[in-house]
Amino acid sequence: MLAELGFVVVAGLKFGALYALAALGLVVVHKATKTVNFAHGAFAMLGAFASFLIVVNWQWPYWAAYLMIPPAIGIVAAAIEFLILRRLRQADMFTVVIATVFLGIAIAEGFRLTYNTELLAVPSLFAGPPFRVAGVFVTRDTAWVIAGALATAFACIAVFRSGRLGRGMRAMAANIRGAQLCGYSIDGVYMLAWFLGGALAGFTGVFIAPVTGVSVDLSIAIITAGFVAGVIGGFDSPAGAIAGGLLLGIAESLAAAYVSSAMKNCISFLLLFLVLMWRPQGLFPEGSGRSV
Amino acid sequence: MSERRLDLAALAPASFIIVCAAVGLRLDSYPQYVIAVAIISMLVGIALVLLVGLGRCITLASGSIMAIGGYASTLAVADLGVPYLATLALAILAGGAAGWIIAFPGTRFRGHNLAMVTLVFQSVCIILIRQATWLTGGAEGIHVPAPQLFGLTIASDRAFLILIGGAAAVMTLFLSILTRGPFGKNLQAAAGNEIAAEAFGVSVRGYLTAAFVVSSLAIAFAGALLAPRVRILDPDSFGVLESIFMLAYPIVGGMHSVWGGLLGGGALRIAPELLRPVADYQELFFATLVIFVVMFFPGGLIELIRRAAGLLLVDSLDKHFDALHAVDAASLRVPVGAIHGLIGPNGAGKTSLFNIISGFLDADGGRVAFAGTSLLEMRARDRIALGMTRTFQNVAIFGQLSCLDNVIIGLGRNAVVHAVATSFDQFAAGAATQGARRRALAALASVGLAGQARARAGSLSLGDQRRLEIARAVVSRPRLILLDEPVSGLSESEVEELRNLLIRINAGSRCLS
Repeated sequence: MLAELGFVVVAGLKFGALYALAALGLVVVHKATKTVNFAHGAFAMLGAFASFLIVVNWQWPYWAAYLMIPPAIGIVAAAIEFLILRRLRQADMFTVVIATVFLGIAIAEGFRLTYNTELLAVPSLFAGPPFRVAGVFVTRDTAWVIAGALATAFACIAVFRSGRLGRGMRAMAANIRGAQLCGYSIDGVYMLAWFLGGALAGFTGVFIAPVTGVSVDLSIAIITAGFVAGVIGGFDSPAGAIAGGLLLGIAESLAAAYVSSAMKNCISFLLLFLVLMWRPQGLFPEGSGRSV
Repeated sequence: MSERRLDLAALAPASFIIVCAAVGLRLDSYPQYVIAVAIISMLVGIALVLLVGLGRCITLASGSIMAIGGYASTLAVADLGVPYLATLALAILAGGAAGWIIAFPGTRFRGHNLAMVTLVFQSVCIILIRQATWLTGGAEGIHVPAPQLFGLTIASDRAFLILIGGAAAVMTLFLSILTRGPFGKNLQAAAGNEIAAEAFGVSVRGYLTAAFVVSSLAIAFAGALLAPRVRILDPDSFGVLESIFMLAYPIVGGMHSVWGGLLGGGALRIAPELLRPVADYQELFFATLVIFVVMFFPGGLIELIRRAAGLLLVDSLDKHFDALHAVDAASLRVPVGAIHGLIGPNGAGKTSLFNIISGFLDADGGRVAFAGTSLLEMRARDRIALGMTRTFQNVAIFGQLSCLDNVIIGLGRNAVVHAVATSFDQFAAGAATQGARRRALAALASVGLAGQARARAGSLSLGDQRRLEIARAVVSRPRLILLDEPVSGLSESEVEELRNLLIRINAGSRCLS
């Protein structure tokens, strides 16, 4: 009984860590640029697809995927910022949301046209017997996803907290004019934020590929989960995004195990609804007194 | 008086749909099918113009709303034996209720949160439809019985085209009336500037909720029309992708007018039928098209058409003052939505050209046309009725009157007979006067003079007097405002403010036309 609960929680943590990574990418871009990138899920899907190419098609080792994909997706994201969103910077949020929604569709459709299959399977990283932690079996892959995704997320937060890059982005978020006066370039910081967001989407993709496989649906699944996790955390708080992701993952896993599989989908929407209605600043807001 | 006259422009989109259906009746059965589904998309496009274009609410739930309409109608016919026509009303009710449910959390948010709330609604609906196998047949779908109307069975493509064309035309008329009337204008005000709108008694949440309800009931109605046409109703035909592509209708067609939604829906629904050989690429193409439109042609197809036509055309205009050839073969073309500047040294004839266009001077030769009407024979005071107003180089306000009264005069309807009648209406504080006051106050607020409504116009600074002139020029919601030397005598900061004001007015009024 308890072992089953432990198993369910571990499965939840696995997806939770992936959601956290997806949410973090959304939050990083939103924090610096005040835009929500609805194409984020499509970026992650591209990352998953790229790991299929590298690992299955070209038979390269897995570490090559982890090394090459995040920067590659980051560059794609930065290029899209440069080519499309920069022109829309004067426009309102409405226009930007529409543009990124359709951008996501365009990317997902581009993938569907290249590989007209339902699902591309990506092999798991590790063979070998599962670990046994406090009476619960944890496969090596699961352990890797939880540890790796969370480590990546925390590394990203460390970058954000310290360093010129993170300072610039936070300064930009707090006061655009002031940051400009201090010598930060808007264009530079925006592109950097998109690069970082894209790289995180790339990581999400590489980590998720062996778990779910690669399909067009991945795009919408990731953006929805990432967005809900971000809202739960309070959209501007990177640490909140991680907490929100884990919470969402565990809640989904519990709902699927103890209620029904349909409830698994509904629970994220229920959480989104509850948080937006009663605590729009999120459960783990950053700082206090910030206007929402 | 001729004030009571049907707004024929509101009838035009519905008439267009009837014409489409009538043309379709002469064609083969496949084109009849295509036209029928295209008409349904036109209706969806128009419904979304109201919500997306005027209300600036992003919705990704249109697919589920359509499904709600379709299932409500089909289940009532199949399980309860309700006549098809009555189930259309049922679909409207169900759609309106669904719109209200989305609006309840939805109107608290704008932008990305609203998009997400609608996406949530969409996904939950489809999951529920798929799960409720006992009622809806689940993912397999259910068979939709052929509709029975007055003892006739609608089964042929021809009969469907008549039914769909007629029903869609009625709903389109309803939507056009709402869009063109005060409801549409206040909705735009609520979406454009929430604070100003609230200040003038427009409840922002109320209007946005109403926009969700109205647009959803129309989309559900479209779903109930579509269901028997496609014969098998299944949840996957109304998924997230379908919702997103419906959102493309008003964007590609033009978000700010009924015609834009109609054009976008029709074009995007017919295109894939014409492009069967490359059907695989249609989604990619549509998505790219939308990004392209958002980036380069925010007004959509309809604005491209209007721009090509031009609003003001001046063709080789001539004016002599004795020996002085003040205006020599001047030609210009002002497209809709443009800010057009006329510059030149002193004595170049700018004001002369201006006065000819606005009717204070007669031309010696040439042609001036405004939205297709020739202007030269028309008196200056009749031009306001066409939607054309002006300001003056030497500010021409009515110094003794209050700012508010100055603007009320700008509403037009200043013929003596009419003014005498209104005077009595004002004595009784009648409806017409109240409406005029509200509009005038809104115009004053838009130029930042709301606080000075009671002040005597002559007591304002020159910069404020120019704003007052602009308020007077915009209050009648003109299609063309002629500003003569709008910045002469203003300080640099006032010039900057005026520039921003003009850009704002231009952006706001572009949607009117």
